[in-house]
Amino acid sequence: MNERVRKVLGTDTLLPYWLLLPTLAFIGVFFLMPLFKAISLAFYGEDGFTLAYFQKMVSDVRFFDALKFTFLFAVTIVPLQVVTALAMALLLNSGVRGSRFFLYIFALPLGISDLAAGLIWLSVFTHRGFLNSALYALGVIERPIHYLSYQNINFTFLSVVVAEHWRATAIVMVILVAGLQMISKDYLEVAEVLGARGWKKIWYVVLPLLKPSLQSALIIRTIFALQTFAVVLALAGQITPVLAGEAYFWQFLYRNPNVASAYAVLLMVIAIGMTWIYLRYLKSRVEVIRG
Amino acid sequence: MKRLILLGVLAFGLLASAQDITWMSTQFTPIAEGEFVRNQILAPFAEETGISVELLNVEYAEFAARIEAEYQAGAGEIAVLCGLHGDLAPFAYALADVSGITPGGTIGSALMSKGYMAGKQVYIPLMQATYLMVVNVKAMAYLPVGACPWALTYDDLLAWARNIYEATGEQKLGIPAGPRSLLHRFIHGYLYPSFTGYQVLAFDSAAAVDMWNYMQELWQYVNPAAPTWDAMDTPLLAEEVWIAWDHTARVKEAIVQRPNDFIAIPSPAGPAGRGFISVLAGLAIPETSPDPDAAAQLIQYLTTPEVQVKILEGVGFFPVVAEAAGAVPAGALQVLATGVSAQAASPDAIVCFIPGGISDEYKKIYRDTFHKFVIQGEPVDAAYLREQATRLRELYLEAGVAYPAPDGS
Repeated sequence: MNERVRKVLGTDTLLPYWLLLPTLAFIGVFFLMPLFKAISLAFYGEDGFTLAYFQKMVSDVRFFDALKFTFLFAVTIVPLQVVTALAMALLLNSGVRGSRFFLYIFALPLGISDLAAGLIWLSVFTHRGFLNSALYALGVIERPIHYLSYQNINFTFLSVVVAEHWRATAIVMVILVAGLQMISKDYLEVAEVLGARGWKKIWYVVLPLLKPSLQSALIIRTIFALQTFAVVLALAGQITPVLAGEAYFWQFLYRNPNVASAYAVLLMVIAIGMTWIYLRYLKSRVEVIRG
Repeated sequence: MKRLILLGVLAFGLLASAQDITWMSTQFTPIAEGEFVRNQILAPFAEETGISVELLNVEYAEFAARIEAEYQAGAGEIAVLCGLHGDLAPFAYALADVSGITPGGTIGSALMSKGYMAGKQVYIPLMQATYLMVVNVKAMAYLPVGACPWALTYDDLLAWARNIYEATGEQKLGIPAGPRSLLHRFIHGYLYPSFTGYQVLAFDSAAAVDMWNYMQELWQYVNPAAPTWDAMDTPLLAEEVWIAWDHTARVKEAIVQRPNDFIAIPSPAGPAGRGFISVLAGLAIPETSPDPDAAAQLIQYLTTPEVQVKILEGVGFFPVVAEAAGAVPAGALQVLATGVSAQAASPDAIVCFIPGGISDEYKKIYRDTFHKFVIQGEPVDAAYLREQATRLRELYLEAGVAYPAPDGS
């Protein structure tokens, strides 16, 4: 019996593929099929293939603002976070007494949802929130300031950057910590012996060896930064529209799934584009060094 | 062992024999309201009659799709429906005649007649709501001379807000303009009818231009955080605003917590009258209902005065039965009820209905216009108004429905 089964199924050579089949089927049915259906919503209307939904999206009064703010958020948040996360990761890795304690503190925001993080910072920046109360108590201001309003759009933007920075830097930090721990101690010892200390060591030895982790961290963080939605919604509503937010409103407020899908497809294309740029220009030559 | 199995089968049989009907509703969607209805209204009903009702909260798109699908299939699982007038009216063909059901209380003919269309009684009114102004008593000191709070005009409102600003330096007027607020209702059901007399027909008229200019002036005295507010109860309680406009259910919390600090007054009147929206929700039975008798019992139960008052307490929608009006408990709800009746009874009232059966993009049209002229402060442009009016008319044409009251009465 066993012999026959093995011959029919070709288990000797095809075993890996048979084992993969359940997972592939699951992904195909629950991920790929809905993905293609959702993408087709943006291109197919009642009369077949049409670009009318993309035209509607582009001619929407908030489209260019949404595009602008999505890019501005990504371009402002990601570099800031990478630099901060690098500093945090180096601190954790330095073995200073109490660095374990910092790990828990830094990783705390990872445990809450992004909407909750937005609401926490809303309670700081809102008209009767902590910031105004503190400034008023110190006598710095006479009357509470409306930070999160259309007139103060720059500050509203900054508040979102601060909230996102607080919330998501730990994600980048965790990846960088893992990357740092993979660097062989030999390189660091040799560097010390050869006279490269402190900042020089970091710049010339640690960072180049960290490139693969940096690349992963940048890709992950950029894709998520392009999708910022809950924090923007909590702090700014539609004052600073973003692509993901507009997709949400078109689907749930104006009940037009086709235009919502068009926004989502645009977001996906931008994310793929940025990933390609990272993969191309951040190619690490660690293999050469290690070889 | 055998006995246990027998008992198990018997118990299952008993459970299965208890009636179980599904009630699909576009109302009671906020979680707190849904839980209230399930625990405080449907649970006692199940105890009384043995009919257990499953409340299914859906958005309008699913509601519409389901009714249509069950009608075409000729059979369905939904036993009873609850929706706004605009949700049920397009499906009059798929709904049974409920004129044979005697409601649990007396519903006036003015309301009952709203549910009569296509030659039959399509729905029985369940509850009504409206949008009005809630004022902190502290603001009364700044009321302009000669203005009566029970019959304000928009000019009075502007002067009132200006008085407060000049005296305190703060913008204490509030209109919810957040992404999930009901701002569009204010624009199409209150501003437009009060200034132009219509919701849709006069979108780009000269009176509309005057209206937008007025709003630009009024917006100077509106709290700048308004575009982040979805409901006015929190700003009222935090005293960020002293004069607010919103749906009765979205200001209820403020009045309930501090009933002595607030009064509810009718919305202001404009040059064309006092436009306001009357939101009427009703109960209907689809033709394909699997249990019309149980559905009828539920409808009778929900229209008894006691349950009507419970709905007011838990959901913030007002009773439609005459006997319940006297049973509203004193305090916060009495404050709201006074404002609602005063608005409904105003001599210059223009009653508006919410547009139903058309794509929700109409909300975007009104809100985008508001965003452009009022929030961004651009000069009022008649050409833009005409463009938006055309898009709005196209929405009604695509759906093939008439304009809502007062346009298409």
